[in-house]
Amino acid sequence: MIVSSGFLSVMVTIALTVTIIAPIVLVILWIKDWKKGQLW
Amino acid sequence: MNNVNSAILDANTGWIILAIFSAIWIFLGWFWGRKTKQLDDFMLAGRNVGMALGTATAMATWVTSNTTLVAPQFALQLGIWGMLGYSLGCIGLILFAPLVKRIRSLVPHGYTSGDFIRLRYGVWTWRLFLLISMCYAVGWLISMGMAGGVLIHALTGIDYQYGMTVILIICVTYTLLGGLRAVIGTDFIQTILILVGVIILAVLTISEIGFEKMHKDVLSEQPELLNLLMPAAIMFLFNNLLFGIGEIFHSNVWWSRAFAFREGVGSKAYLLAGIIWAPIPIVAGFIALSVSSLGLNVPAADMVGPMVAAKLLGFTGAVIVFIVVFSSLASSLDSLLAATSDLILQDIYRGHINPQASDEQLRRIAKIIIVLLGIITWLICLPRIATLGSLLQYLGAFVASTIWPIAAGLYLKKANSTGAFLAMLLGTLSGIWAFFSIGFYVAALVSAVVSMSIVLISMWLIPDNFEWERLNENANQLTGEKAL
Repeated sequence: MIVSSGFLSVMVTIALTVTIIAPIVLVILWIKDWKKGQLW
Repeated sequence: MNNVNSAILDANTGWIILAIFSAIWIFLGWFWGRKTKQLDDFMLAGRNVGMALGTATAMATWVTSNTTLVAPQFALQLGIWGMLGYSLGCIGLILFAPLVKRIRSLVPHGYTSGDFIRLRYGVWTWRLFLLISMCYAVGWLISMGMAGGVLIHALTGIDYQYGMTVILIICVTYTLLGGLRAVIGTDFIQTILILVGVIILAVLTISEIGFEKMHKDVLSEQPELLNLLMPAAIMFLFNNLLFGIGEIFHSNVWWSRAFAFREGVGSKAYLLAGIIWAPIPIVAGFIALSVSSLGLNVPAADMVGPMVAAKLLGFTGAVIVFIVVFSSLASSLDSLLAATSDLILQDIYRGHINPQASDEQLRRIAKIIIVLLGIITWLICLPRIATLGSLLQYLGAFVASTIWPIAAGLYLKKANSTGAFLAMLLGTLSGIWAFFSIGFYVAALVSAVVSMSIVLISMWLIPDNFEWERLNENANQLTGEKAL
């Protein structure tokens, strides 16, 4: 059962999108914690 | 050791980057560690880590240099399922999230995973668990030390031994200076560097080659890599899932964070880290499918990631790759050094040798242990023993045997010490047998199945009626008679 190039591109694109969002989420969380004085 | 003639950075540039990042990490280690006065500060970052740093440290620690190296290796060997199987490592982080809440409520004064096993299952199961944990910790340290040497050599031509030595010295130094606070602080920066670097590499691969050409070339040369019914790959998928769960459930790297995170943060941080981590093996791994398109001759499977990067990227890109790899390596190596030193300090030194040790004594011994761990790892890493993937999978037999004793021990009163001991012992032995008799891709699977069966049967035959209050041991009352 060979996957198509479409399957490959969708799989990688979804993974890449989540990876692009990840650092943005982390920086937003950092700013929120920092403002509350709750980094550690 | 593999000789790679395609190093895209010269050794001088490599040394300059290493020097710059060494200075940054060591300065930060000193900066964050300078106010560390109490043992809790050094071992557990004051038990007050927030959501942002908590998520980043869980994520960065799970993105090891092995992810950078072995995800492309598995994509090259096992194709689509190699990437997806590695990606299932995120399930370990996600399943550990609810356990963190339970751990914090049941063992509020705990320091290590060993504390839980000792209080829950008694001395002999605790000792067996420590043996398994130490085998895993040393194996992981070796795996990462080797990865550091291999990657630095592949990208810059710096000798394997020199690269590996420098990485170890840097991580030992800043962990020594700042303890877990330095580890968690640097993890945040390293996480951002890793994510940005992996994104750049993936985008460049897509724009340079494209999915159509990549798919067409793989289909003509290695069609089995695109086969969803590749039997070995499907076994690998389940094996890696269990391996990941076992690693996280048992390892003090994750337990020490459960104790270090602020009340209410742990579960959310692990859950988010799992979601963010899941796509990384796919994004880092799929580039290996471009080997055919690039006409690369890969001398060893674990070299495929750096070789593709070397082929695709120019000087600036090569610097980025080098920083990503260095960050992923450091973020895991420092965590493991800190967590393993905690385990040795709390469970071996304090538990077996000197139960009455003061905080000051314990802090001093913790630093000695970190240095010794670094030296032992360095000595074992000097010769390159096995391919990275095989070394990592070998440990699956050990860690998968601990999943059921830990999960059942946290939730089920009937779980008992005899069952836990036999589950870990026979699970590990059967996993090792499977590793050598069948293949690396079933070691964790067999170990977990055997361990699960023993735990379930023992709860049926000789059920315990454990009182959860016994886990609430005061931190200052680690009793010698219990430990010894």
